[in-house]
Amino acid sequence: MTEVRLDRAVVTVPDDGSPERRPRTILGPVDLVLDERRVSVVGANGSGKSTLLRLLNGLVAPTSGSVTVDGLDTVRDGGRVRRRVAFAFTDPISQLVMPTGREDVELSLRRKHRSRAERRSAADAVLNRFGLSHLADQSVYDLSGGERQLMAVAVVLATDPGLLVLDEPTTLLDRRNILRLRALLDGLPQSVVVATHDLDLAADADRTLVVDGGRIVFDGEPRAAVEHYVRLVDGS
Amino acid sequence: MRGQGLFAAPVPGTSLVHRTPLWLKLVGVLCVGILPWVTSAGWPLAVVTIALVGVVLVARLPARRLARSMRGLLPVLVVLLAFQWWAHDLAYAVRVVLGIVNAFVAAGILTATTPVSDLLDGVVRAARPLGRVIDPEVVALTLGIVVRSVPWVAGSFASVRESARARGLDRDPRAVVVPSVVHVVSFARATGEALAARGLTDPAGDDEAPGRHTAPTGSP
Repeated sequence: MTEVRLDRAVVTVPDDGSPERRPRTILGPVDLVLDERRVSVVGANGSGKSTLLRLLNGLVAPTSGSVTVDGLDTVRDGGRVRRRVAFAFTDPISQLVMPTGREDVELSLRRKHRSRAERRSAADAVLNRFGLSHLADQSVYDLSGGERQLMAVAVVLATDPGLLVLDEPTTLLDRRNILRLRALLDGLPQSVVVATHDLDLAADADRTLVVDGGRIVFDGEPRAAVEHYVRLVDGS
Repeated sequence: MRGQGLFAAPVPGTSLVHRTPLWLKLVGVLCVGILPWVTSAGWPLAVVTIALVGVVLVARLPARRLARSMRGLLPVLVVLLAFQWWAHDLAYAVRVVLGIVNAFVAAGILTATTPVSDLLDGVVRAARPLGRVIDPEVVALTLGIVVRSVPWVAGSFASVRESARARGLDRDPRAVVVPSVVHVVSFARATGEALAARGLTDPAGDDEAPGRHTAPTGSP
């Protein structure tokens, strides 16, 4: 299992609202060790969930403190961290950067396989593993929302990372596609950290974090965490 | 957002055009692009237009996709034709428009009959001698993203125009231009973030070298 460690991690941004543009803390300080197979993160919009997730593969650097993945610092060893931590965004269309799914998987594999034939064969194996072979040559614009999200997950998993981070992957999906995505996630050997507003998906984890106002306000058993989050939202 | 023009995705096939080597197709596109600069007559451009239609037929590219691609370009061509006619004369305006149409269709034929991964491999091979100055993989990736972004930008522009029409603002250019620019910038940012998340912007061999510092980009 991949181990993620956050040590007094803080993220601040310049506050455009104040005349002095003084730094505004949007997350932290956070102390965490994540080594469970499935971790979910819940919280209201703007609570800091996405920032927390972006810390995990170095997309966002902590302003102070540190984040490590299997002992690798996300700032100093960014490239190596990103090989271990895959990231899937809410909107898959911004993530699929090639015209077709097959070409996007091949793009992920370019550094691993220099030969075109090897790359093609490895891409076919990845698409087959995720049951997406029939969509391989379709334009990504012609895929349904659910198909796109599954393709985006397959694309980032093509390099066999140890951890998959998903930022609200079900937001744009209907119920049927949410179930398809959940089935896919259930079958993954990788560790998964998922931020979501889907409380069923959140409760399906081994551990759940509740984020509010840039802080982890609950960390523990998923059902209890979801109840805490619901009380938090209903009470506000 | 859908884009089903010639640039959206390759059209699988085994036609002569599909089997033509990439370098020959690139030379063809280059020649079509250069032609308006080296001729002052209109008929060579018209001949090329007819030849390109022939290539589309030989490649068995769906006429619907060609028409969709051209439909997106049509408003620009009409404005350009009118402006060049006003600024010069009709013959010159037709030459300018034909030159653009030819270059557009030639590029569309190239992308429709060549898998982007083959294009990337070709670009990497071509850019290898410049490896000390630029990373060939980055050049290839940039080209791939440009190809993939064309239908997105066209689709975004159509959506924005539709929204402006729904609000009764279709005659106000600002209602189309400003949101289009905002969409494109936001798309570029999201694409950049996705590339960074996949490690595609990390230098090759970063396994050994210390990683770069990534400034916070995500919204809280």
